[in-house]
Amino acid sequence: MSIASTGPTAPDTVPAADIRGWLVERIAFYLECSTEEIAEDAPLVDIGLDSVYSLTLCGDVEDRFGLTVEPTMAWDHPTVGAITAHLTEELARR
Amino acid sequence: MSETITHAPGPVPAATAADPDHRVRTAALERLVGPAGDPGNPLGTAAVLAADEQGELSAEGERLLTGYGLNAEFVPRALGGRFTQADGFAHLMRTVFRRDCSLGIGYGVTSFIAGLPIWASGSAAQQRRAADILLSGGRVVAAYTELAHGSDFSRVGLTATPAPEGLRLRGGKQLVNNVSRAEAAVVFARTSDRPGSRSHSHLLVDLDRLPADAVRRDIRYPTSGVRGCLLGGIEFDDCPVPADSVLGTPGGAMETVLRAFQVTRSVLPGMVVGIGDTQLRAALGFGLGRRLYGRPVAGLPYPRATLVGAFADLLVCDALATVGARSLHLLPGETSVQSAAVKYLVPKLLQESSYRLSVLLGARSYVRTGPYAVFQKAARDLPVVALAHAGSAVCQATIVPQLPRLAERGWFRPGAAPPAALFRPGDPLPPLDLALLELNARGRDTLSRAVTDTEYDDPRVNALARLFAGELRGIARRAAELPARDRTVLASRRGFLLADRYAHVLAAAACLGVWQHGDGPPRDPAWVICALHRLADRLGLKPGPPPRDAAEELHTELLHRHEEHLSFDLIRAPLA
Repeated sequence: MSIASTGPTAPDTVPAADIRGWLVERIAFYLECSTEEIAEDAPLVDIGLDSVYSLTLCGDVEDRFGLTVEPTMAWDHPTVGAITAHLTEELARR
Repeated sequence: MSETITHAPGPVPAATAADPDHRVRTAALERLVGPAGDPGNPLGTAAVLAADEQGELSAEGERLLTGYGLNAEFVPRALGGRFTQADGFAHLMRTVFRRDCSLGIGYGVTSFIAGLPIWASGSAAQQRRAADILLSGGRVVAAYTELAHGSDFSRVGLTATPAPEGLRLRGGKQLVNNVSRAEAAVVFARTSDRPGSRSHSHLLVDLDRLPADAVRRDIRYPTSGVRGCLLGGIEFDDCPVPADSVLGTPGGAMETVLRAFQVTRSVLPGMVVGIGDTQLRAALGFGLGRRLYGRPVAGLPYPRATLVGAFADLLVCDALATVGARSLHLLPGETSVQSAAVKYLVPKLLQESSYRLSVLLGARSYVRTGPYAVFQKAARDLPVVALAHAGSAVCQATIVPQLPRLAERGWFRPGAAPPAALFRPGDPLPPLDLALLELNARGRDTLSRAVTDTEYDDPRVNALARLFAGELRGIARRAAELPARDRTVLASRRGFLLADRYAHVLAAAACLGVWQHGDGPPRDPAWVICALHRLADRLGLKPGPPPRDAAEELHTELLHRHEEHLSFDLIRAPLA
């Protein structure tokens, strides 16, 4: 098992590309597919990330960015692109 | 109880039925339900069995429950009802379930289920409307199930689409209890074509105000158990409903469901414990009356072990259900996992117990007449009640995705001990705030500290606690190693097995806490030792047979309760 995170980090700003890259890697891990298969604008439910399961993504975000987000984050921001934008905003606000 | 005195249930004094203490109300309800063995009692076992044979609910039974004002128990106190705490509510309903779970469900538990999304997300006007219907003796039904989709709510077919006059409903719901005679329904409908979890809304629909040609609700589904319940269907054919029928934010139903169902998953099993109580009473009555090899069957070693084991299992079920219900008030951030464990394990334990007791009863376990006929009714009712609302696979699938984080962040980490109040059945609680129930436990698990951290004075109890701590360590290791696919609802047997074992650990924790902090059954460790032995046995932890003295004491307690007409659960309630 590979987990990208090495513990919570809280830099002042995290480049969107880093967030996106980490997210794609994480979702590819859950779906047991390659990162190339995760399109930025594909609804996560369509590529197999079950709605109930996506509730657990909040834990990964907390571990990686030290940021507490709603478990329903992936419901309201249903693509990699949308979550990236949301997290970028949340991290900047902090 | 004397069977020669005919029970003529009178109305429960209004002051008693409305007493703020749920224990007073529960005792009043028990008196109303009356003696089981009285053939003249309209809620006696004979009347209940006769109604079941007819596939009907006892009309007289329903009238008595209306007289008591049972619907008020489903309505929060702030809206004029009597609901204050989840465990007290379960205990109160258990009184009805002990006698006839068809009546418990058929009269109204589904109104309680339907009420939750209204209290959680409805406007003040919608809440008032629903409360008024219930408080005047009416019904609000919960229309979730579509047979084509089972528990897969995200794929429901019933749609509500915007129309000039508001919304139009198309599609149907099946297995909706009481839909043919209800005033209103909470309908779970798709309100957007988009995939995902923001495309569904709850609608509070006034069934009596719908155009007659656009709705049909006279369909009934006969069932193997709870035969008296009016499980029906409803079909909407382009049926107009007002735009303000939507409860809460449009698209918010999935989130509301995941909160509301934590409540139902925690309280329904606590009611179902009443069915197990009745089965055990029937089996014990049979075992004491039937003589074999010169003594009562109940005195032979194997039947005796079966009876004591069923008693211990019933106490486990009550401990887990009671702690689960109290957690809603005290640990609302953690009940997404815990409520699933309650709904998973309690029905399973009760069903397995039902099977073992049926072996003891022999032919009397399936004969539909005679003194033990109540057993076969309970045995038929139990599987229906166990599956209803959330089957065990759904509950396990709720737990599985959360296991890795519990393993990495929760278990064996320093933290506050579970509060003593968690373990005191029926004690007053802070109000239940549905908004505080979280959709994900974020790795938190306070209850499990009762097996990992707490030290117990009794060395045997302490050793058993540590046995489960060791088990949890193993679960943690395996959960952390779960491959990605096994962390999802598509998990293989491996993930589901871990969820099963974890539910057992939580049950052990609940028993330990109740024993340590509760005041009944007696602080005597016999029951907790037997209970934990049973749970450990089920996990293959090889604790050996329960110490002879503990099993002996539990047996004595069982016989004592039987003679004194006390319930077999944690409450030890006097029976009518």
